[in-house]
Order: sequence, then C-alpha cells, then structure tokens
Amino acid sequence: MKRALYAGLVLGLVPIQTTVLQYASIGGIRPDLCLIAVCLVGFVAGEREGMLLGFVLGLIQDLFSAGDPGLNLVTKGLIGFLAGLVGKLLANATPVAMLATLLGLSVVSGTVFLMAVRVGEGLADLFFVTRSVLLPQALIDAVVGTGAYWLIARRGQADQATQEKHGPLW
Amino acid sequence: MVLVLFALLVSVFLVLPKQTRSLLQHLGQPLAQIVAFPLGALAALDRSLREAWGGYVALRHVYDENHRLRREIEFLRGQNSELREVATASQRLAALLEFKEGTGSETIAAQVIGRDATSWYRALVLNRGERDGIRPEMGVMTQAGVVGRVVKANSSTAVVLLITDPNNAVTGLIQRTRDEGIVEGTVRGLARMKYIPLLSAARVGDTVVTSGLTGGFPKGLVIGSVRSIERVEGDLFQSADITPEVDVSKLEEVLVISTPRQFDERATDAGSLLPKQPEKRER
Repeated sequence: MKRALYAGLVLGLVPIQTTVLQYASIGGIRPDLCLIAVCLVGFVAGEREGMLLGFVLGLIQDLFSAGDPGLNLVTKGLIGFLAGLVGKLLANATPVAMLATLLGLSVVSGTVFLMAVRVGEGLADLFFVTRSVLLPQALIDAVVGTGAYWLIARRGQADQATQEKHGPLW
Repeated sequence: MVLVLFALLVSVFLVLPKQTRSLLQHLGQPLAQIVAFPLGALAALDRSLREAWGGYVALRHVYDENHRLRREIEFLRGQNSELREVATASQRLAALLEFKEGTGSETIAAQVIGRDATSWYRALVLNRGERDGIRPEMGVMTQAGVVGRVVKANSSTAVVLLITDPNNAVTGLIQRTRDEGIVEGTVRGLARMKYIPLLSAARVGDTVVTSGLTGGFPKGLVIGSVRSIERVEGDLFQSADITPEVDVSKLEEVLVISTPRQFDERATDAGSLLPKQPEKRER
C-alpha cells in the first residue's frame, strides 16, 4: 500500500504540477505539491522517508523546471528531513502545528531559491519577489498542505474506528 | 281520450299549420329561456373539458418536442464549439506554417504542454525534446516574435526559459537607431534593454529586434517595443523598458530554431519577416 502510494506520488505529482495546476494558480502562484507531499511524508513517516521522497520528487521537478539541476533535489530532500525531525519533536500533530510547520518549511525552501535564482537587481526587486512569490507561495503551501493533512487524519480516524468495530481491513 | 286529443291536435296542425307553429313558438319562449341556463352551463363545462383534454394532449406533444429541441440545441452548441475550436487551431497552425516557411531558418514546431514545475521561473514545457533534435540554447519563437530559449532538453520534452524571466538575456537591437544592447527579463514579467549608448536617440514605441550576435536567434526577429527610457545622471548607458511582442501567457504552439539564419532587417512587424536567402530547408 505504502509503495503504491509513493509510486503514485512520484509518477503523478510533477505532471499535475506542470499541467493542470496552472488553472488553480492564485496570482501566478501554484501550490508546490511536491513540497507538500514531502512535508507530509516526513512528518508522518519520519525523516528518512521524507528525505528520500524529497530527493526523488526534487529530481523529477528539476527535469521540468528552468532552474539549475539539483536545486530542487537538495531543497526537497532537506525539507523532507526537517519535516521528519519536526514530526518527531511534536507529541501531538494538530492541524495548527502542521500549518506552522508547512509555512516555516516553505519559507526555508523559498529562501534557498531566493539565494540561488537571479531575482533582478537591488533590494527593491528582492522585496518584490519576497512579497509576490515567496510569501504567497508559503501561505498557499501551508493552507493546501494543512487541508490535505486534515483529510488524511480524518480518513485515518475513520479507518481506525472501522477496524476496532469489524477487525482489520486488510 | 288521449287519442282523441292527439287526433284533434294533428287535425289543427294540418288545417292551420302556420298559426299552430306561431302559437307553439310563443308558448315555448319562457321554457326555452329556463332551459337555456343549464344548457349553457353544461356546454361551458363540456368546452372546458374538451379544451383541457386537448391542451393536455397537445402539451404532452409540446413537452416531448421541447425536450427533443433542447437536446438538439445542446448537441449543436457542442458541435459549434468544437468547430470553432478546430477553426481557431487551423488558423493558428496555418499562420505558424506560413511563418515557418518564410523564416528560412530550420525550425521544429512544438506544442506547449505545461509551465515550470516551480513558481520561481517563467518557463514553458514543450512536447518535443532531444529525440526531435532540440538542444539547450536553441531559440524559441512564434510568428509574433521571440518567446525565449531552451534551457533543458529531455528525451521527449524541453524546458524554455521565457524572455520575461530575469535569468534570461538576449542581445537586442533598436531597429530605427541601430543601437545594440542586452535584453533581460524583469521580476514584473516584462523585459528591459540595458547598455544602450547615452547618445542613442531611442524613443518610446521603437521596435527592438534580435541582433543575431549571441544565442540561438537570427538577426531581425521582433522582441518587443520600447515602453519607457531611463537615463540616470552619471551613468555610462541608458536602459529601456520593453513590452514583449509575444503574449507568453497564451502560447499554445511555438517554433524552436534549430539553425538560425538572418531575417530581413527591414522587417518591422512579425507578419512581414522575410528570409534573406530564398532557398528553404524543410525538416
């Protein structure tokens, strides 16, 4: 089940990100599905799995992005690892904790990009990119990711209740 | 007794027919009036029922017809929309083909299948890659002008960095004044021409074309038009904001320039771009 899920994420997320997600953009900013998936996996399954999935998804994202090869690979791997650490530290993963984690990790990822990408000249351009790309991106990632986490947690609770009542599902 | 009365009445009828009818007419008038009320009521009821029935039956047919017509309208609307889409695509592709034939450069037509996988770059993903002969640094254009350049080529896809991205730079030429400079993208999604000589007489509205010195573009391909010019006191050069000729947000098909040749420098608009050399090399 887990392998199928990871295979689905690896094969499906970047194509969705590059094609259909453009219709769901707000002010030209789309949620970074790869970052959200890596964060959730790291948060739930630990830093090792988060980092590995981050490497794979980042690599695929690099293939379909104009950025330097390896930039997404490293960033997503780092984000997966950090998400795993945060997941370990938090005793109770509430949606608010998830929102804060995603917001923070998306800002970290954005800062790496801000340093690596040429964003124009001078402080005015830097502030413009921070205001128009980095912060909206972090906000969208946090909201979408928290929504996804809430849905997964609800589904998990429902499955647990069914198992307690009727025995294991599989 | 009754028979006698009946016989007498018949006799009167036969002897005095006209008078008898008139008498009977007068005697029957009030009765006729009395009977007229229920008759009228019944007739009205009958008419109402007939109308109601007729209406019901007719409405059933109308409902069916309405339903059929609605379905027909929906079908025709769908067909109309499809035909419009085909016509638009056909016009677009015909224009692209005409342009491709007129460029003289060897080009590869490609479809835009997506946008950059991150929000940090202004880039497109094409449905052609190394397998089709696309290599990094090749220029990308449409009949309107410069789109960008290929930065990555996978086996079946390629990533094109748009002219409006700050990481992109193309050598440009102000067509009227012949002043050269470097055209870069800006963070606000426009382009900016830098290093224009201070003595240049460039003005708003001037067309900027590719100079052909660097990159995968031939000389004379339209980049955009000058929007504003900035002259800073003490600077050695001036710079100009440029509105790109191509609306990069609505691109569906593009041409990747595999071997650039020179365009006619006198060309001022995309539609009149002509190759210097008449022979064509088709792929």
